[in-house]
Formats: sequence, structure tokens, C-alpha cells
Amino acid sequence: MKAPVQRASRRTLAVPPAGDHHAAPLARLLRIELRTEPRRPRTLVALVVLALVPVVIGLGVSVRAADPGADRPGPGLGLITAVYGNGMMLPITALGVALHLLLPLCVCIAAADALAGEAAHGTLRGLLLAPVSRISLVWIKAFGVLAVAVLQVAVVTGTGLLAGLILVGGGDQLLTLSGSSVGLGAALARVALAAGWTVLQVAAVGAVALAISAFTDHPVVVLATVLGGAIVFGVLGAIPAMDWLRPVLLTSGWASLSDVLRDPVPGDGLTHSALLAGVYLVIGMTGAIVGTLRREA
Amino acid sequence: MSRPDRTGTIFSPPAVASGEPMRPDRAATTPVPPAARLRGLRKVYRRTVALDSVDLDVPTGAVLGLLGRNGSGKTTMLRLLLGLSRPTGGTVELLGEPMPAGASRALPHVGALVEGPGFLPFLSGRDNLARFAAAEPLVRTSAIGETVKYALRRVGLDREAAIDRAYRGHSPGVKQRLGLAAALLAPRRLVVLDEPTNGLDPAGIRDVRRLIGELHAAGSTVLLSSHLLSEVEETCTHVAMLSAGTVVATGTLTELLEADGPALEICTTEQGAAMAALRQCRIPGYVERGLVIADLEDIPPDLVLSTLASAGVPVSEARRRRTGLEQLFVRLTEEGA
Repeated sequence: MKAPVQRASRRTLAVPPAGDHHAAPLARLLRIELRTEPRRPRTLVALVVLALVPVVIGLGVSVRAADPGADRPGPGLGLITAVYGNGMMLPITALGVALHLLLPLCVCIAAADALAGEAAHGTLRGLLLAPVSRISLVWIKAFGVLAVAVLQVAVVTGTGLLAGLILVGGGDQLLTLSGSSVGLGAALARVALAAGWTVLQVAAVGAVALAISAFTDHPVVVLATVLGGAIVFGVLGAIPAMDWLRPVLLTSGWASLSDVLRDPVPGDGLTHSALLAGVYLVIGMTGAIVGTLRREA
Repeated sequence: MSRPDRTGTIFSPPAVASGEPMRPDRAATTPVPPAARLRGLRKVYRRTVALDSVDLDVPTGAVLGLLGRNGSGKTTMLRLLLGLSRPTGGTVELLGEPMPAGASRALPHVGALVEGPGFLPFLSGRDNLARFAAAEPLVRTSAIGETVKYALRRVGLDREAAIDRAYRGHSPGVKQRLGLAAALLAPRRLVVLDEPTNGLDPAGIRDVRRLIGELHAAGSTVLLSSHLLSEVEETCTHVAMLSAGTVVATGTLTELLEADGPALEICTTEQGAAMAALRQCRIPGYVERGLVIADLEDIPPDLVLSTLASAGVPVSEARRRRTGLEQLFVRLTEEGA
């Protein structure tokens, strides 16, 4: 019984001595990461919750619209009000709503699991012992978090489009906030622009979360820090005396998503917030690399 | 020579024929470098000194048992050896590579189970192993499935149905076996096992012993940490004892077991007569815990027995004394502490 086992091992496991075998192929590691991430139960729960956002908005809008006795909705929820009979607006509105809390929370969970969670399970040690170099590990994990962010934004956008067409209707064109209407093709281009911009914003939050994840063994610390930080940023952005701080607050740029719905699209806010997200991405990734290099695994 | 060297002697390479498994031709002609070499190793966590001036060689081909109480620094030492943690001072060499800098060259040939098994709870045991196999530089992509199957077979999990269910539901024994399997995913020159029999039933403990024997026979070096003295006594060729962060004794198992010098323990009802007979023939001896102990430093054991027989002393049992590892361990670690 033992002899055939030994022979099998030599045939299938032994590697020719030639070539560089200091690291497993990166593509293989990325593929495994892509396959593992969506199987986390909390990733799936997050996707379901995110899919509910446009559905709930769509239902609310269609119920109010179907009730002739209801008042027209009051001010304050401008974006949601604008969805009435304007289905192509729903995906963008849903992205704007989700970006203010749910999307940062969900990407944070992924980033917290990526390094701190792996450390807590003891699997980070296993990967480092394989060995996967610490720098590669950060890039693989960043890739995984980015994949989750893309998936989350895609789910909000996709269900937003569907809910807009089915529940709200009026999907053949988009009535902009400026009062003009644009055709279906241009409307879809605006949805794509909104989705891409949102991915960048969410990725920036994810990078910062990954940096904190690199410095701790406790996933909860990542959630508390990033969400606490987002709330502090929101408060700072709302204090008039702190106006000078606003251009560097990631959260303050998020309001410019509604610019996508104007005609013509004012580029300043979107560009500034995109560049700001890029800066946060760089800072976050630098932090993640420093933290992982210093980590006692 | 009667006591183990308290400063931590450097091991001489063992006389195992297998030598260094990767280069058997070279091993035959040149002296084999140790699989691991620690020099002046020191590790301080904040204000706690976890390890201090540790010098140790793990001879290639040996099964070295690292003995120490909980908190004596065993795991810290293994973590430093594997590059998981940076030393505060001193140097670490693993398979000839400085650590942690040479981790990418040394670690593909090293399998390790440190600080218990670590797996993702929502993946099955098999998928967890496949994930680690994918990270192993020495495993070909097309061979990942086969590699996992082989590793599962080696730890006796190939017929375990639970292995395809989520890891979080596995019993502690299955988890521990999976941890061992992860250490065996590629051909290894060195296998590091931190408390490998934790959570295992007697059959599991037997399997671990068999596995260590197989690795040893195949020429791999095994470094095993344990607080179970019997485990070390049964599986190891070499022993290093750790107390309060320093190595207090090292040597081959036999050297340490005969640390008190060779002697014969004699069971007899007439101890007085036995002592008189020994004294008459100038054989040094004394009575301890109801046994007559004859010193064998310069005297062959058969002379002791024939002396007693010709004096008419009834001997019911005579055996070579071996200081139990336990006795030695207690003495060294309690004196040290």
C-alpha cells in the first residue's frame, strides 16, 4: 500500500530542478483569490443587501406614484424624487445612496477579512510559509478587494437598471436634473460613468481599509476605524469653519455623483473627487505594504 | 562528560546514511551543513524577553525534539526560524539561507505546522488545502488536485467524508491532521511541527509518530516542539531543552538519557550483602530508592552480576539505568527557572 503512494508522489509532485521555483505563478494565486472571495458567506450577504437598495427605492417610488392621494414628495431627497417615472435614473440614484454607507461598509468587510481576518484564522501564516512574498500578498489581497468592490457596484448598478425598467418605467430615455432628456445610449453611458466613478471611490475606501487591516489581527478594528473615520469626515465636511478641509475629505467629494445627471455634465467635481480617490488609493496601498512588511505573522 | 553541556553544545552531523536529501552525491563527500542554524538569537516583545542568546544547530537528517514548558520560547523560536517574525538580535539560517531575507529560497523546501492548524472556516478541508497547494512554488498547477489527495492520504484523511464539508464543522482531530497535511504539500527537506499531537486521539498520535518516522527514513529533517516527554523520547534522535528563553541542554537522545553516567540498577532483597560483595571487589555502588546502583564507568556489567552471583546474593532484576528524559528535564528547567 505504501510503495505505490511513494511512486505516485514522485511522478506527480516532483518538479524538474531547472527554472525558478521561488514563487508560485501569480496568475494562479490571483485565480484562487477570485475563487475564494465570493465564497465567503458575508460577501454573499453584502451582495444581497446591496441588491435590495435599488429594489427598495424603486418599490417606494412606484408605490408613491401609484397612490393618487399622496403628496408629491417633499424636498431633501432630491435624487430619489427625480426617479419618478424616470427609470434610467434609478441605478445612479441607488449608487449615490449606497455610496454613503453601505458600499464603504461592504468593501470594508472584504478588506478586513483580507489581511486581519486571514491573520485571525491563522491562514496568513500558511500563505507566508508557502512562501508567498509579503509584497505579492498585498497585491493579491488588493486585487481580491478590488474584485469585490467591482462586483458590489455591478450588483447595485445591474439591479438598479432592472428595477428602473420594471418598477419605475420610462426607461427609453433619461430626464436629467437640468430638465433636458437624453437618449437611451447616452443614458447608459452616464450609468457606466457613474458606476466607474463609484468603483474608484469604493476602491479608495478599500485601500485605506486594507492598510488598517495590515496593522491588526482583528477585523472589527478595521470596520470601526474606517466607518468611524467616514463619520468624522462627514461631520468635518458639514462644519462651515472647516471649509478649507473639504477638498481633501474623500466623503465630501461623493455628492458630485449627481453631476452625472446634469446636462451638460460638469466635470470639475467628478474629476476632483476621482483624483482625490486616486490619492487615497496610493496612500492606502503604501500603508498596506508597510504594515504587511512589519507584521509579525 | 557525565552531565549535558549546559551552554548548549553544537551538534555533530548524525551518522545517517541518507544525508541531505536534495544532493545525496555531495552529502557523501563534504560535511553536511545543518538544516537550521541559530546564533545568539534574541527576541524581545515590548519589555518581555522571549528568547535570549539561543545557539542551536539542527543537524540535517535528524529528528530534533524541542522540549520546554509552556512559555519557554519554543514557538517564538520556530517563528523566528521560519521568518514569520524578525529577531531582535542574532542570526537565523534555514537550509543555508539567512532568514527572513532568504525566505523565498528556503521556504519552498520547508513544511510547517506552527501554532495550530490555520484554515478558512467557510471552505472545505480539501479546498483549504488546494488553496495552500496553489501557493506552493514546487507544486505544478496541473498537479494541485493530486497533491492534495496525496497529502490527505498521508495523514489518514483520504477516506474521511467530512473533508468535503466546511472546515468550521471539523473535529479538533481532523483539523490537526489537516494542519499536518498542509505541511506535507510538497517534497520537504525540513518539516517543522509545533506540538503536532495536540487534539489527537491515541490512534492519531500513533499516526503522527509513523509520519515522523517516514519523513526521517526519506531523509527529511524534522524539528518537533513538544511538552510531551514521551513523544520526544519515542520519535527523536536529538533533543534540545529550552527554559525561560534559553537552550539549557542539547545532544543526541542517547547522550541526554545517559547524562548521569552508565550504571546498573539491581533489585535484591539483601541489599546489605550485595553492597558488601561489591565493596569487596572494589566496585563503586550505593543504595538508592530500594535499589542497589553499581557504577559502570570502568566496570563491565557482567562482572557486577558474576560478583553478586558468586557471593550468593539473590538478584531478581538487573537493568541499565537511563535517566528518564523527564528527570533530566525537571532538573534542568527547575534549576534554570
